[in-house]
Amino acid sequence: MGERSITTINRRRAVGLITAGLAAPFVSRWAGAQPAWPEQTAVPDILKGSGEVRIATWGGALQQAEQKAYFEPFEKLTGIKVRALPGADQAKVKAMVETGNVEWDIVQLSNGSIMNLMKSGDYFERIDYSLIDDGVGKEYRSEYGLEMLVWASVMAYRTDAFNGAAPASWADFWDVGKFPGSRALYGIGSEHPELEFALMAAGVPADKLYPLDVDKALASYEKIRKSVTKWWTTGAQPPQMLTDREVVMTTVWNGRMAALQEQGVPATICWNQGVARRDGWGVPKGAKNKANAMKFVAYSTMAIPQARFALSIPYGPVNEGSFKYIPPERMALLPSAPEIKKQLIQYDYDWWIANQDMAVAKFNKWLLA
Amino acid sequence: MSDSSMTPSMRILGGRREWSRWRRDIPWLTPLLLAAPLLLYMAVFYAIPVVSMLLRSLNDPKWSLDHYAALPSDVVFLKVLWITLSTSFIVTLATLMLAYPVALALSRARSTAPLILIVVLLPFWTSVLVRTYAWMVLLGRHGMINEALMALGIIEQPLRLLNTTLATEIAMVHILLPYMILPIANALRQIDPSLALASSGLGATPWGTFRQVTFPLSMPGVAAGMLLVFVLALGFYITPAMVGGSRDITLSMLIAQEVDQLHWGYAATLSTLLLAVALGLVAIAQLLPGVGNTFRTSK
Amino acid sequence: MKEASGRSALPMGDGCLRGASVSLSDLERSYGGVAAVAGVSLDIQSGEFLTLLGPSGSGKTTTLMMIAGFQAPSKGDIAIDGVSVVDTPPYRRNIGMVFQNYALFPHLTVAENIAFPLKQRRVPKVERARLVAEALELMHLPGYGGRYPRQLSGGQQQRVAVARALVFKPRLLLMDEPLGALDKQLRENLQLEMRRLHAELGITFIYVTHDQEEALTMSDRIVVMNDGKVAQVGRPEDLYDRPCNRFVASFIGESNFLPAVVRGLENDMVVAECGGVLLRAATSQRLAIGAEITLATRPERLRFAEQLAESDAINRIAVTVTESVFAGERCRYLLKTENGAAMVLKEVSSATVRRRDVGDRVEIAWSVADTIIV
Repeated sequence: MGERSITTINRRRAVGLITAGLAAPFVSRWAGAQPAWPEQTAVPDILKGSGEVRIATWGGALQQAEQKAYFEPFEKLTGIKVRALPGADQAKVKAMVETGNVEWDIVQLSNGSIMNLMKSGDYFERIDYSLIDDGVGKEYRSEYGLEMLVWASVMAYRTDAFNGAAPASWADFWDVGKFPGSRALYGIGSEHPELEFALMAAGVPADKLYPLDVDKALASYEKIRKSVTKWWTTGAQPPQMLTDREVVMTTVWNGRMAALQEQGVPATICWNQGVARRDGWGVPKGAKNKANAMKFVAYSTMAIPQARFALSIPYGPVNEGSFKYIPPERMALLPSAPEIKKQLIQYDYDWWIANQDMAVAKFNKWLLA
Repeated sequence: MSDSSMTPSMRILGGRREWSRWRRDIPWLTPLLLAAPLLLYMAVFYAIPVVSMLLRSLNDPKWSLDHYAALPSDVVFLKVLWITLSTSFIVTLATLMLAYPVALALSRARSTAPLILIVVLLPFWTSVLVRTYAWMVLLGRHGMINEALMALGIIEQPLRLLNTTLATEIAMVHILLPYMILPIANALRQIDPSLALASSGLGATPWGTFRQVTFPLSMPGVAAGMLLVFVLALGFYITPAMVGGSRDITLSMLIAQEVDQLHWGYAATLSTLLLAVALGLVAIAQLLPGVGNTFRTSK
Repeated sequence: MKEASGRSALPMGDGCLRGASVSLSDLERSYGGVAAVAGVSLDIQSGEFLTLLGPSGSGKTTTLMMIAGFQAPSKGDIAIDGVSVVDTPPYRRNIGMVFQNYALFPHLTVAENIAFPLKQRRVPKVERARLVAEALELMHLPGYGGRYPRQLSGGQQQRVAVARALVFKPRLLLMDEPLGALDKQLRENLQLEMRRLHAELGITFIYVTHDQEEALTMSDRIVVMNDGKVAQVGRPEDLYDRPCNRFVASFIGESNFLPAVVRGLENDMVVAECGGVLLRAATSQRLAIGAEITLATRPERLRFAEQLAESDAINRIAVTVTESVFAGERCRYLLKTENGAAMVLKEVSSATVRRRDVGDRVEIAWSVADTIIV
């Protein structure tokens, strides 16, 4: 099976509020500069229905994009009302299913979270693949979750920091002599410390990363420790630190960077050796509107809704058919676009599911040493 | 008809008589009933979650003391506990130092008291986001403090202020100051003003009066403030994450991480420990002389 | 003020100290333009028991606070033993002070409270303990040293406050309504004790009260204050028998006031008409014929006229009894003169004296010597 699982992007409850707040100014700016969007005018009858579907999202910019790309047209075309509820969280799914009080019909999670939960019990419904568009690649389909966006964890740097020189690999990120200045890396609270980057910096080839050698990664981390000003905990921090010139280089979630560039901050992404990750839809076990949920999952992964989403926020579509609706300059920002996809490493969800506890424990211990 | 209409009123009458008898015989009945809404609220929204958390630390995934047994050998936990406790302690002391003079001014001010109070309470009315932003703007590498110092020629290179333990402590002190100022000011205001006059009349210098009369009598407020600040500081999460250094990892952050990793039993164990530390401190504070009255009504 | 005396800690009860003399000259204290004390001048003799008496707001406490140094005068001077102290902070004035609410330090034991002024004066520990024990003895509180103030009764707290104010041998003791919070019985006992202490120690006492009876019982001299000014200064009997104005006459004791017009003058005697009745009073003032004056008499100095023989030394007036109240040792009658003025008469009750009834028309009389022009 090509399913790759990984734990959730670590969008933490309390810090999430700050994240949303910090992101707010970027979002409104982006919304003003939309290219012409494709419109879907009809859906198969099998997707039509009545009643409602309650969707747990991550709120903020992502939910706004989903609103325009998925929720509004879905309501219009199918007659099913969408209620978007920010605060998606695997822990809440666990609690809801355990207490029998399932308030969500769909939840946005990484497939890793879904796999992780399924390890310890029966928390999700099977996805109804009879409804799913053929354009959705095999690698995005798994039994209890359907992935619907591709994002990437990449390097970003200030273009004005190195006299025109551009870092092109993790070896460059680690090279404080050639690229002087403070760094930031994903730190404590992380359920997936950026061990891949540390290993590539230590010379491990991209195709030989997994299974990760955690001790070797930590030894590599040790080399750069003194130059790391901040071990960040929320996605809003890296762009903020680049803007404030607090650091010259950092790891970042790609979606956060587009807005920064819109603002004219001299900073850019280095896609090379980034890690591609994915988010999906899961339907919690016992969801009251299960049928509507399946219809929504199917609709949102069709070519046009996927393209609309990628035009709204720079996360890549999972439907092959979407790319023909997306102009080339936009393609340069999407982690699933062929030109970028080939520079990225695909995150090994299986390895992480199996080794996460050990890797995180070792990382925490090292960070505190 | 008349029977059925009489019965309820008689019942009410009898009920009233019985009620007065109960009230007479059980002196704590009325206070209990008065407190009932709050008790019920606390039971539903506090006691039940706390108990379920305790249970989870013992029965997730199976009944055992394994989670607690694991604590002493968990180096990460021990380190984080130490960081949390020592940060809270430093923050509490710093808050006390800064808060006491303000409390003194607040307790003595007449016309300016409302103004001081507004300034004191300002952190309460400012969102965490804005406050955190403000600290970033002030302390950043290219923040106001560094720019000013460099403009004045005092430093050549920007100082590292943001993303340090010092930044965490400064920001925490800022947020926690009102919790220290208010109880102390309250304790100071309750001191009979004639005591300071008496002390002065009996030959004590102003400093002597402060040392021997005012300060000892403000101890209940100092203890309450320190306790409040320390316990609140134990639970800090956002501030150290946003402005702290690489080792500013608090127990709350560790708990959140464990929750995210679905290690709920262990997360519950850590939470129970945090609660136990807080309760232990309250208990110890009660035993200190002059502080025991903090939560007792005076006669 | 002599700094040296503040540092010496003489044991109590080893003979009399000379009390401090205090002199206030044109003392003024105003709050935002309103004068609480307006031009008070007083000379207090060494060893005197002087009481500042007045209603609340009369400025008596403010005057005391200025002497203690807790408030600064807006104008005027305070001298102790001839040396101005207005620039001396209270902790260097070496004055004992007893507050209305005692102001005992609640966090210190009785012994620690009493030792407090000694500690400030750096009296050695052993000496301190001895002085505290002596003070407890003097105030009849032996064995109470280890208790906290809240464990004592009001009267005991009051004694501790006095002990604390005296233990460092001040030559001047200020007391601000020290007995105000106590019940009558206890108050009377403590009044006697204060007198005893004053006699034993020989130091100067300045005592503030609004209770005229207390002032009359205890003081060598009383300063009656009203509206921030001194209304009259004098020995208790002078104030009672010769109040110099209507305020003092009504504030100290009870008085009957009769409006009258001067009709004749004979030597030191004035003959005045009140509603057609001629009344006499002694006076040293020069009054003009036709002047309007007020005559005052004390209710207990009035008699029903049949008890007294006709005489030039007696004033008489016809009245109607409007109310008759039996109050144990005395009967109290409310009377009305022909022209409508209300009067009060107090008569010692006795089985042999006939009670008057409401509506009785009678003549009352009193000695010309007891008639005062105010």
